[in-house]
Amino acid sequence: MTTRGRSGLAESLEPCRPMPPDKPNILKALLAVQSALGHVPTSAISQIARVLGVSDAQVSGVLSYYSDLRIQSAGRHLIRVCMGESCMANHGGRVLRTIQDHLRVSVGDHEPERRFTLEQMSCAGNCAVSPTVMVDEDLHGKVTPSDVPSLLEPYR
Amino acid sequence: MKTTRLYLSNDTSSLAAGAGRLADAWRERPEIQLIRTSSRGAFFLEPMVERDMPAGREAWFNVTSDDLPRIVGGIGGTPVTEIPFLEQQTRVIFANFGITEPLALDEYQMRGGLKGLAEARRLSPETIIEELRLSRLRGRGGAAFPVWKKWQVAQQTGAEQKYVVANADEGDAGTYCDRMIMEGDPFRLIEGMLICARAIGATRGYIYCRYEYPAAARAMKFAIQKALEAGLLDFDDYPFDLEVVVGAGSYVCGEETALLESLEGRRGVVLAKPPYPAESGLHGKPTIVSNVLTFAAIPNILANGGAWHASLGTEGSRGTMVLQIGGRVRQPGLVEVPFGLPLRDVLDRFGGGMAPGARFKAVQVGGPLGSLFPESQLDIPICYDAFAEAGAILGHGGIVVYDRETNMVELARHFMAFTADESCGKCTPCRVGSVRGREILERIQSGQGAAEDLMLLSDLGETMKTASLCALGGRAPYPVETAIKHFGEEFRQGVKFTRPA
Ligand SMILES: Cc1cc2nc3c(=O)[nH]c(=O)nc-3n(C[C@H](O)[C@H](O)[C@H](O)COP(=O)(O)O)c2cc1C
Ligand code: FES
Repeated sequence: MTTRGRSGLAESLEPCRPMPPDKPNILKALLAVQSALGHVPTSAISQIARVLGVSDAQVSGVLSYYSDLRIQSAGRHLIRVCMGESCMANHGGRVLRTIQDHLRVSVGDHEPERRFTLEQMSCAGNCAVSPTVMVDEDLHGKVTPSDVPSLLEPYR
Repeated sequence: MKTTRLYLSNDTSSLAAGAGRLADAWRERPEIQLIRTSSRGAFFLEPMVERDMPAGREAWFNVTSDDLPRIVGGIGGTPVTEIPFLEQQTRVIFANFGITEPLALDEYQMRGGLKGLAEARRLSPETIIEELRLSRLRGRGGAAFPVWKKWQVAQQTGAEQKYVVANADEGDAGTYCDRMIMEGDPFRLIEGMLICARAIGATRGYIYCRYEYPAAARAMKFAIQKALEAGLLDFDDYPFDLEVVVGAGSYVCGEETALLESLEGRRGVVLAKPPYPAESGLHGKPTIVSNVLTFAAIPNILANGGAWHASLGTEGSRGTMVLQIGGRVRQPGLVEVPFGLPLRDVLDRFGGGMAPGARFKAVQVGGPLGSLFPESQLDIPICYDAFAEAGAILGHGGIVVYDRETNMVELARHFMAFTADESCGKCTPCRVGSVRGREILERIQSGQGAAEDLMLLSDLGETMKTASLCALGGRAPYPVETAIKHFGEEFRQGVKFTRPA
């Protein structure tokens, strides 16, 4: 971790320090770290555990449980293709394959230049305007395979 | 220059359909004033722009930025009351949608909001619960449990601290009504939660909102702040503390005991019941966990009386059902109707038939754990009893239509893979069963299935149904089995040989 990373970590953890009688909330702390650093580096587990007053194993257990917590930094932009049933029914699988081919990247991975990380999601609540592709917090609806290049183009 | 007030939805799905681009294009136009409302839920017409006309609101559909002169000129609009998709609905919970600004508390109040809460403040906890008993409202999160019974348990359990938790995890793919309520009518959820708090004597509340809904979480936080400033969160003798908590992407965290584990910051695993959360929930204290839609149904019940609510719907299913139509239909969107309408009518009258060029294959009702229905079984009425009798569920009201291009073996594999991914691991039938199920379906998909594989799948399904701790494992076999039952040929094609004995 860089120095900046380390101080970001300490800062993000400060509001999560348990105030008796409240018990430590591991998930809340991990989400706070992720929102500050973009991910939760495994090297930070001990420090998180110390601040919360819990064991390293408890922190690792929660970290590995939730799919939205990431231990590696994503690319600059995170693409999430919905594979929920409404998007599947509208052939979102074809959109996913087109993105994979277009970026030459597989699900769960990023391209060498780290512009995009590609992931699947299970529903964005945009089922009536499906298939759905989320890039960062932008939601794109009714995406067709031929839309893919122009959809990704603005994200640098 | 006279400015024309135009109404444009700010709902996430409206934005995805192009409302955001429209708002950007029109930002600097002096001839209009753009009001950002919630969405009517007719997403196939979005972006939809409305304006006031002498006889009421008129709407323009699938608007592009070039349509502005027509709209300002008042040319070619359709009276909102004449849109068949909307006109045939009974909007009770969604009565404000498309009309109000979500974060305008005065508009909420002007349209009847806060009346239920005022009633609740006047009534004793027992009388509030009696009103709910009369309403015969059942929970909308999936299990359809009578709401009043849970409240009564929590009310009668002595404790110095009780909690109210809104389940906003909305994990079922194909559903979006909770998201729409939080983004579009957030005070309704707050009001429902306050009535519950008043009835059971709770002093703290949480809204557990899924990670995928950032706009909903933002809107709720704003609305809570406004409610606080308006003094709504104060009961006579104590304040009610309400907080939005964001989850981290786990389907099973929608299950109430797992949700409470997650709220306490732990791994969201399912716990054995009893004890039920109403007796011993968050931090071991009496806790009402209810779905967002359930809470949103409550203000009207207090305002209009339980008997009014019970007068809508069918014998075992009172009130309105909020359906969310998605998949390969012409008119995807949100539909609120009294219980009892046949599924076929829902698909034809509201869904508008299949999307251009698509042909019907099957429809799934009730999310990823819901059963599949072929064309021949569409006459089933939308109500809890008929669905239970058919071994199906209404769940949270998701309806997804699949077309002929859908490969049923691939779909079945997808369902089992979903359960395998999302299983919390606590019980063996779900944890191991779903992985075995997925493997068998992968074999069949690759054409390497053995003759006994379909039998094996069926045995596995029976074990999962009877021995799983929660409905994730317990319901996972249903979509797979209904796919095999109605589209068996596709599965048999993947079964190539008989394994030597
Ligand atoms: C695997 C699983 C996932 C669930 N997901 C949700 C959900 O996303 N939202 C919800 O309200 N209820 C969900 N439930 C149901 C809850 O356990 C609980 O019954 C519900 O929140 C109670 O609220 P209600 O009485 O208003 O229906 C789920 C149940 C299971 C077994
Ligand atoms: S199924 Fe993809 S957005 Fe809901």
